[in-house]
Amino acid sequence: MESTPTTRYSLLARLCQPSDEQAWREFMEIYEPLVYRLARRRGFQDADAADLCQEVFQAAAKAIERWHARPDRGAFRPWLFQIARNIMINSLRARQRQCNATGTSDARRLLEEQPAEDEESRLLDVQYERQLFHWAAEQVRSEFREATWRAFWLTGVDGRKPQQVAEELHLSVGAVYIARSRVMARLREKIEEVEGRQGPE
Amino acid sequence: MVSPRFSCDLARLQLALDDRLREDAHQDLASHLEQCGECREQLESLAAGRDWWRKAQSHLATVEDGLPGRLTNTGRPGRPSSEGAFDDARPDQQPWLGFLAPSDDGAFIGRLGGYQVSDVIGSGGFGVVLKAFDAALNRFVAVKVLAPHLAASGAARRRFAREAQAAAAVVHEHVVAIHAVAENDGLPYLVMPYIAGCSLQERLDRQGPLELKEILRIGMQVAAGLAAAHAQGLVHRDIKPANILLENGVERVKITDFGLARTIDDASLTQSGVVAGTPQYMAPEQARGEPADHRSDLFSLGSVLYTMATGRSPFRAETFLGVWRRLCEDMPRPIRETNPEIPDWFAEIVETLHAKDPAERFQSAEEVSDLLSRHLAHLQQPALAPRPARLRRARWRRAMRLLRRGALIAAPAVVCLAAAVHWWPPSETTHQRAEGQPVAVDSREQPRDSDHEWQRPIAGWNQIDREVAETDHAITEVEQQLQRPAASVISPQTISAQAIDAEADAVERRWAEGVP
Repeated sequence: MESTPTTRYSLLARLCQPSDEQAWREFMEIYEPLVYRLARRRGFQDADAADLCQEVFQAAAKAIERWHARPDRGAFRPWLFQIARNIMINSLRARQRQCNATGTSDARRLLEEQPAEDEESRLLDVQYERQLFHWAAEQVRSEFREATWRAFWLTGVDGRKPQQVAEELHLSVGAVYIARSRVMARLREKIEEVEGRQGPE
Repeated sequence: MVSPRFSCDLARLQLALDDRLREDAHQDLASHLEQCGECREQLESLAAGRDWWRKAQSHLATVEDGLPGRLTNTGRPGRPSSEGAFDDARPDQQPWLGFLAPSDDGAFIGRLGGYQVSDVIGSGGFGVVLKAFDAALNRFVAVKVLAPHLAASGAARRRFAREAQAAAAVVHEHVVAIHAVAENDGLPYLVMPYIAGCSLQERLDRQGPLELKEILRIGMQVAAGLAAAHAQGLVHRDIKPANILLENGVERVKITDFGLARTIDDASLTQSGVVAGTPQYMAPEQARGEPADHRSDLFSLGSVLYTMATGRSPFRAETFLGVWRRLCEDMPRPIRETNPEIPDWFAEIVETLHAKDPAERFQSAEEVSDLLSRHLAHLQQPALAPRPARLRRARWRRAMRLLRRGALIAAPAVVCLAAAVHWWPPSETTHQRAEGQPVAVDSREQPRDSDHEWQRPIAGWNQIDREVAETDHAITEVEQQLQRPAASVISPQTISAQAIDAEADAVERRWAEGVP
């Protein structure tokens, strides 16, 4: 994953084939939490944020082919999040018309309180990457025996010493090294399936 | 010091990563790695670059935002199972149980109001369900607590209270009762009887498809429970196997979690346009965000019956969007393709429940419960209980609709037409046309787009389909004639609706006898 987000070709190309259910499933699993959090940060309640996710993905599903066909298309994530922003603003405006709220305009406040665009994009990039790791971890975890997984997690994530972990898991230290590398290799592979063969740096 | 039995070998490291080393080779490599730092580094960079390791650590160690995840995958995946969500549910280890007061009895994990909490039964979108002991009444109860982060929102608290009120109004042996609704430190909770057993979902996960008798027994009871709720004006809106409890020991089924149920006339929350419910078991009108009524529950019941018969839910796609598309556009794969032991009549019941148009489903839960119980009675005592008539409701409806149009227009109308042309003054003709009165056809009976759903070939229907098509064609011709000015003077009152119904019934009987 590079510092500037690129269009994620492998998954995106597959998204444009309506029959590729798997691609949509992965896409939703990775992106829905991001859109959800974006909405929650903007003050949407749980149920409204969930609703908004649905709207955003329906809109994206309709528009993605057209977007993909455009020669001058930019990166994917900013495009998706722009859809999300537009829908949020529309939804707040609609609600305001309905309630005729007193005091400051929610929609204006939302716009004014928006963090600077590039600051938010950076935040979204970090969150996207994080989400990708969490997602991949969940996807591959069941492929490993519990001890193998824990050898990875306790040393690689919790940062504990292999010797200590080996003792706890009744493994040899060498087995802990192998185990954690196996999990890491699989994680990388899973992420690359989605992200295309770029990897960090 | 390098083990003499083993030389540093890149290919072997790759085999280890792919988990393709034999057990003894794996052990050799493991002991080699303990001594050879170079190979350790090789192995790790073969697995992933340094940056990957760094990112894996920082990302996986971080739990996002503290916001509740919508999906399970926002949860921290690396949690060892010994610390799994509910295995060791002590408030000090489970910060989200912090709302419990300490219990003076060591056998319990905490206290909530007058209840001693012994266990966490589960958690859902709205909060946690605890098993607790009600000392005053000396019984175990299930306590459903609104999640603390939701209790902070007035809308969620109101919805929770509404859920409790709505559910408490339904008293029925197949609906989980509500003992009490209370609040503790701003956290609302409701108290229900503790039911020892499992959910239908758990049963299906464990056992796969159920036997026909069992399916009918469960389906019949769920439908009966729904009928009771519907009688109170309450739509469940989230009927699914996880919300159907199977009590241990007694063969009794109870519907629980009216978590999303609302009284039909309560429009305040639908203002926000929230699509509530589990997409997989939702009715298409719910998925589209249109108002749900009791017939939406019947669609979901159809999906539950389908799942019991095949072991899998009918509209599987796992993404919201995929399910949404299938719900709104597809008919599920025929049950008998997955489970040939399921009889036709059962598949037809499910198909009728699965009609995209609510008007083409059964119109009441009572009707479904009754039908399922009569089938069950026949299966159990074939000699005493007759098998209910075959169901062709949806197709019949469609056929009848056309026939009625036919009967209405073709037979008597032609006679009237002749008379009318002669006797009615032309001025009245134009007057009636200006009002845009339809020609003796109830607007509800107009053909709908969803008609094509029922046109999948089913054995025995080809002939009827042909007949219907022919009738349709004939009617269209007559209609075209009727469109001419002089013809529209025939008012609906001219022809008795009862006579038409009688005619249609007669045709229905003739067909039923003639078709295998």
